[in-house]
Amino acid sequence: MAKKNRDYKKLARDFWYGKPHGERRLGELYEDKTGLYKHREWRGVSDTLYYFYNVWLYNYAHMVTDVMKYGGPINFAKGVWRYRWLGQTYLTAIHWIDRGTEGLRGEALRASPWHHRGMINSTIKQFQRMMKADTKIRGGKKNDAWYHTIAHNETVWGGMFYPWSDKFESVPIEMVPYFVTCHVNCHTVHNYIDAVQSIGLPGDPCPMCQAESGLFVLDDMPDYAPFMVTCNEACDASVATSTLQDWFWDKPLFALPMPMQFDDPLVHKYCMKEIEECWKFVEEQTGVPFNWDQLVKMLKLQNELQEFEWEKWDVAAKTDFYPINGVSQALYRIYQSQYGENEIWHFCDKKVRKVMERCVSKKINPYPQTRHRVIAWSCAPLYYSHWCTWAYNCWGLNVVINMDSLMFDMTIRTDSYENCLSDMATYHMWAPMRRMAVGGMHHIFELWENMEKFNCDMVAMYDQLQCKGMQGVHGLFEDEFRKRNVNAFWMPHALPDSRTVSRMELRRIINDYMTTVMHEEPLDPSLLDFDDSMSW
Amino acid sequence: MKKCKCKCGCKLGKLLAKLLGGVLLANVVLFIVFFFDLDGKFLFKVVEPLLCKHYDNMERKDTLKSPYDMDKYPSYQFNS
Repeated sequence: MAKKNRDYKKLARDFWYGKPHGERRLGELYEDKTGLYKHREWRGVSDTLYYFYNVWLYNYAHMVTDVMKYGGPINFAKGVWRYRWLGQTYLTAIHWIDRGTEGLRGEALRASPWHHRGMINSTIKQFQRMMKADTKIRGGKKNDAWYHTIAHNETVWGGMFYPWSDKFESVPIEMVPYFVTCHVNCHTVHNYIDAVQSIGLPGDPCPMCQAESGLFVLDDMPDYAPFMVTCNEACDASVATSTLQDWFWDKPLFALPMPMQFDDPLVHKYCMKEIEECWKFVEEQTGVPFNWDQLVKMLKLQNELQEFEWEKWDVAAKTDFYPINGVSQALYRIYQSQYGENEIWHFCDKKVRKVMERCVSKKINPYPQTRHRVIAWSCAPLYYSHWCTWAYNCWGLNVVINMDSLMFDMTIRTDSYENCLSDMATYHMWAPMRRMAVGGMHHIFELWENMEKFNCDMVAMYDQLQCKGMQGVHGLFEDEFRKRNVNAFWMPHALPDSRTVSRMELRRIINDYMTTVMHEEPLDPSLLDFDDSMSW
Repeated sequence: MKKCKCKCGCKLGKLLAKLLGGVLLANVVLFIVFFFDLDGKFLFKVVEPLLCKHYDNMERKDTLKSPYDMDKYPSYQFNS
């Protein structure tokens, strides 16, 4: 038997600093199919301990303290027992962070998980408010929290309700039960998609709208507010969702439309009037008048978040020192900008600012294995938002920025009512899946200027198979990619539904592109092919 | 006086040592749970199947039987 040659110096170095990128073989850490780890990654002493204490333990501890702070353990326990989306998702949150931060080291590891912390806090705050007010878990009894909560579609920006935010809490209907669950535990949403099809509705509309309706079909939606504000965004399938919500929830409803062709100044004026109508409706329902001072106070706080986001974009666009990875950037930004002002965003931004400033001042490149700077465009697969973490580890594809981050590219003026309303209308119309997805060719093709601005040499083009809007421009993108000689790969997916195009299939498509078109070798071959079909 | 001080000191020392030992032990146990993903395995293999079984067998309201009340609320008037 040949004696093994052990390089003890190298072993000690790997123990202390972690293995260098090409030797990590992260794919071998997974158990087959489940995606669970045989053991979590050893990132070197400092980074492993940082992850253990400051990410894993810190987040588990705060998941408990947040529950205590926002509504107490009894409401929480009742909620877990009553609602599938809550029980199946809350418990798996830490593994959501794991998936998003695999392979990260140093400053990247210190910046990215703060975004998850922000989203977890905000998620707990929302579902605890739902449980605190829910009549279904307290035998139909309406309490003070129920009377002081505003329910609205997740596609209605939370800022619409700032004028009442000192007395009422606004909670998006689907942000946690649908949107968050898809990222954290992709199995949950299948129940709701199947439920809506089981009552005879067709299977080909947008699966987001199917799932959002399915929550109501399965009676898995808490009854937490006296009225609701709905929206037609992203498309007519959302209108159908609102119709079903109106039927099953049976509450006073205001439909706040979002125009498609919003560049037209007349449409803009119409939208301003619609917002005022919505405010009148809220006044009527709550009996509380519109509070201008409160609106200004909240908008100023939200503007601070936007200003920091611009700083982040500047660093991402002009340097190699941006410490935030693709999935953290994308999810945090869309969550924060759509939900609106929340104390936790400021806390997390402060932490991230420190790391980012350190990277810039010390010229630290947190993603040294970057081979291509990638911009991701169109709507992402929610069940595989962490694909960019895999893509960096396997191929050195660094997703610097994405479409969803760039939509709300504005602060809101608070110097006068007219200016404020005008800006709020713009913000409302620049919503996810609207401005750059179905908001007209000019906006869809903002890709090219952003590609240049962020110094990207590759496009990850999401291809939502059930989005009739974006499917209609597939060919135009193909033509433009050829004309402009842009490296681009398509990522077909069915938004929340991991059964249509699996994660494994998505990886295969990227692998094929990188080998056959780019003629490149993987950085970590163990990540090329593995089965995570049962993974959260 | 001296004797008393020593006793207190010993007791305090023992208590501190026990506390330190407890904290160290908790850290080691938690690190083992963390490193071998025992939290994930427990949630995936035990908690989630139990919860899913419960959710699958829950009695649910047949929402299709809810009436679609078109005229329950006053009709909305666009005022602008």
